[in-house]
Amino acid sequence: MIVRMPANGIVPLVEREGLGGPYWLLSFRHGETAREARPGQFVMMKAGLSAEPPLRRPFSILAVDRQRETFTLFVKAIGQGSHALASLGCGEPAQCLGPLGRSFTPPPPGTEALLVGGGYGVAPFRFLGEDLGHGAGRARLFYGGRTAADLPLLDRLTGLGLTVVPATEDGSLGVHGRVVVPLEAHLDEAKRPVRLYACGPEAMMHAVARIALDRRLAAEVSLDPWMGCGIGTCLACVVRVQGPEDARPRYRCACTEGPVFDAARVVWPGEDASGARRAAEHDGRGAPP
Amino acid sequence: MNLAVEIAGLRFKNPLIAASGTFGYGVEYEGVLDLSVLGGLVSKGLYLEPREGAPPPRIVETPSGLLNAIGLQGVGIHAFVRDVLPRLVRYDTVVLVNVCGDTVDEYADVARVCDGVPGIAGLEINISCPNVKKGGLAFGGDPRMTHEVVAAVRSVTRLPVIPKLSPNVGDIAVFARAAEEAGADALSCINTLLGLSIDVEARRPRLGFGTGGLSGPAIRPVAVRMAWQAARAVRIPVIGIGGIASATDALEFLIAGCPAVQIGTANFVCPGIYARILADLQAYLERHGLEDIGAVVGTLEYPGLPRPCDREVCE
Repeated sequence: MIVRMPANGIVPLVEREGLGGPYWLLSFRHGETAREARPGQFVMMKAGLSAEPPLRRPFSILAVDRQRETFTLFVKAIGQGSHALASLGCGEPAQCLGPLGRSFTPPPPGTEALLVGGGYGVAPFRFLGEDLGHGAGRARLFYGGRTAADLPLLDRLTGLGLTVVPATEDGSLGVHGRVVVPLEAHLDEAKRPVRLYACGPEAMMHAVARIALDRRLAAEVSLDPWMGCGIGTCLACVVRVQGPEDARPRYRCACTEGPVFDAARVVWPGEDASGARRAAEHDGRGAPP
Repeated sequence: MNLAVEIAGLRFKNPLIAASGTFGYGVEYEGVLDLSVLGGLVSKGLYLEPREGAPPPRIVETPSGLLNAIGLQGVGIHAFVRDVLPRLVRYDTVVLVNVCGDTVDEYADVARVCDGVPGIAGLEINISCPNVKKGGLAFGGDPRMTHEVVAAVRSVTRLPVIPKLSPNVGDIAVFARAAEEAGADALSCINTLLGLSIDVEARRPRLGFGTGGLSGPAIRPVAVRMAWQAARAVRIPVIGIGGIASATDALEFLIAGCPAVQIGTANFVCPGIYARILADLQAYLERHGLEDIGAVVGTLEYPGLPRPCDREVCE
């Protein structure tokens, strides 16, 4: 949950590193975000001080350095806003509002955290993996993409006490197949209780939500709809969510009530109720834990 | 140096007002900025009951602009008065409620709820939202309906009544006069321009609702022109709205004849914009040797026309 108000500021780029193709690691100095951010939270960013493009863009926080008062973003330059950000030189300013949104819920003691990151959706999981500590085997990251070039962050995820399992759809790196293939294989073998966390393309998060529901596992997803303001005033980034108390799904802002949601409470495209509600109504199993 | 202005009997400490639909209920910005910096703020549009709003996607970025179809999602007037207003009254700013309705009666009912509630200083009447199927533009697109809604609200409240006019009409002066005749105390000009953005791959509208309302710097010249036309058509004050992101932008509306302005889309882009615009407005006054922001209002030298501020003298 948000514990402090976000801070709005002009933040300089202090470090940039290309990871090949459209992928960049960009670090900005912003004491408030560096100090306060929790894994799963995001910042609203806009390169420079010019008017175009009009809106700031949301980016998951990849890492923070509290000593240096910096935070780092993993950016795929695919549109006007992300291109402008990736084109900044060191020392050049960006506009930043953060940290924003609801963070991931840490797993209970003795529970293995299974992180599922698709493409640049892996960004919040470096922060989460680091935060979960270095207990061996306590957290496992399934990192998927179409091809090896979609996993540019792979060698930056070592040394965190995180077991990383890459998967590519074309088999060029790691497990051959979608990222849920090694996830399901692991779940079939898992001896300990687990908790799932997913961030990536909507279809991938939907698939993880279905797996969690079928196996009655707790899961959180980090959703990524278009955002206008980041603080719940424009009401643009709504997603349909059905809480335990809701008779019908309701629109909730991903920026303030998310971006992290209980996967079983999300009403996915093409469905008319949350997974938890359908499970409860259709086979009387009740809501998942 | 005086930045305060008086509109419809209300004193605004400066001419900057946060526009409806771009500032939530105000309290969302607590902590990000000091709400007491604002001259005033207008709540998100409020019906009698809560509203779910339009299906997403709800916004599309366009050149220098934003196309939106939020569909007036809101908590309803009762929840606003009960839950939000007690937090807002702690700030030294003028709170206006944006009143919505599916019917003339609903507008009047919402106005009735607001009447006499401490902390609500006035009512902005939303007869111009393009993103709802009923009400909204149906009332703002027909001068007789505009008159009917404004008169209905006027008859049930002593609060200042400020209709927000639509740009999606042929001659805004006709609507400005209809609202004035029905008893409006001031006007807000303008709401968003009706637009359509198409995803050419899917061959579908980019917005879930279909069409949407365009805002942001892209619409500013249209907005300045229409606010100017409205201000020339009526004796009541006109609050200028449309793409303001700097003191220069605000001054265009002031010079065109608006004693105050609303800031909308810029709230999303830069939540701290008020302090900067106020500082720049003061610098402008200093540079021009003026003591009072009111000395700028209506000073447009338009070839062949009297200055807006001289109009009554000319008449």
